[in-house]
Amino acid sequence: MPDRSQQTDRSPSEQVRALYEEAESAAAKAFEEAVGKPSFGALLARSAENAAALARIGSDVADLVIRNMRIAGRSDITHLARQLHRTEDKLERILQEVELLRDEVAAGRSGGRSANGGEPSTGRRSSSETS
Amino acid sequence: MSSIERLVRTPAAAFEFANILLTTDDATLGASEREAVWTHRGITLWRYRSSQRTYPVPVLLVFALINRPAIFDLRPGNSFVEHLLQEGFDVFLLDWGHPEEEDADMGLDEYVCDELHWGIRETLRASGAEDLTLLGWCIGATLSAMYCGLPRDGDRDRVRNLALLTMPVDPRDSTYARWVGDPAFDVDGVAEHYGVLPGRSVDFANKMLKPVTNFWTTYRRLWQGVLDGKSRREAYQPMAKLVADNPNFPGRAFAQWIKMMYRDGDLVSGRVRLRGRRVDLARIDQNLLIVTAAADHIAPRPTTMPIFDLVSSEDVTHIDRPGGHIGLIAGSAARNEIWPEISDWLRERSER
Repeated sequence: MPDRSQQTDRSPSEQVRALYEEAESAAAKAFEEAVGKPSFGALLARSAENAAALARIGSDVADLVIRNMRIAGRSDITHLARQLHRTEDKLERILQEVELLRDEVAAGRSGGRSANGGEPSTGRRSSSETS
Repeated sequence: MSSIERLVRTPAAAFEFANILLTTDDATLGASEREAVWTHRGITLWRYRSSQRTYPVPVLLVFALINRPAIFDLRPGNSFVEHLLQEGFDVFLLDWGHPEEEDADMGLDEYVCDELHWGIRETLRASGAEDLTLLGWCIGATLSAMYCGLPRDGDRDRVRNLALLTMPVDPRDSTYARWVGDPAFDVDGVAEHYGVLPGRSVDFANKMLKPVTNFWTTYRRLWQGVLDGKSRREAYQPMAKLVADNPNFPGRAFAQWIKMMYRDGDLVSGRVRLRGRRVDLARIDQNLLIVTAAADHIAPRPTTMPIFDLVSSEDVTHIDRPGGHIGLIAGSAARNEIWPEISDWLRERSER
């Protein structure tokens, strides 16, 4: 905290600003202590649970309405996307096996050099996409 | 500035202040040139090529699940990626993307055993390197440490250096733990109801750790800076945009994270199992860099320290500096303070 002689050197507006910042800093500390209490944690947890339940109910109702209109709802799209993900997972694993075999063949041909041969791979999935 | 001058300047400052806030979304993040090396689901492995590559060991950056990794490449002139490239490193970044409802089944096991493992594999293949440096930050550091704590096989042996920045290790005595650590909080129910936890709710929770600072002081200081003619929009906007861009947290991973870290302390007690394999941090024997921040409120310093008692690395370096969770690495002072220390550490351990 600045001593009294420093305070008197300041203009009134600077003194007001310093006082305000001091009050703000005290308020910040008090709030941080408040949010660190278990009771606040319990309040936050209940709020999160309630918000999640409400979101789910809202989503279910909206989905029901849309599906009754014979339009694909969010859950249908999510279901489809999950299936795509599973297919992508399988493809990724197959691709890795193919690469492994290709590296082994290449290593065999070059008389036992390391799988990568110290050279960068040709980048079978390298994309020219830049950002 | 006199009171009259201030009064005259107020309308112009108000317009400038509003303009800075309203155009924050237009700020450019991650301007370094990069190319996508590998993608799986919404996850992308980016490569930033160094025109002056000096070191054969590439650096793979892994960030948290709750913020965008653009923090590593914030803006031209203030980018950790740019710094590493200038120092001669080949840099890769594993970008977790924006999980949606269809990713609700992504758990920590998928992130560590599949995505991170494959990211490492692709980094090695693309760079042609024998081994790499794994640099994780926040949850990304925990995922990286868990990866190195799994039983050794194949690519797992090829992590030469491990750098863990502000990594939560045992946060059971933290404000977060008081919020979500209570068994009465139905974390599985929340995860199931949401599918993916909305990014905004994670952001709100983070901000609530310091409510006055985050919801008021930041804007008050910006206003003050604009009024005094000192605020620089190019300094404020990228960070504000980044902080507001929170990806969703897949429900399964969220529930696992809360129980593992905030309730049971499974990571420190060695009870974490991923796909049946035990994560034992004692298996970490790589050259190890640990960076902690004294004023970190997300991963408070005491919650990061237990790592020293758990690993078996012989080469351990600890950098502890004043600063916050994000500001330590991405703040304006980082460029001259912490980045050179990190790159010096890497340089000594990245020779052939």
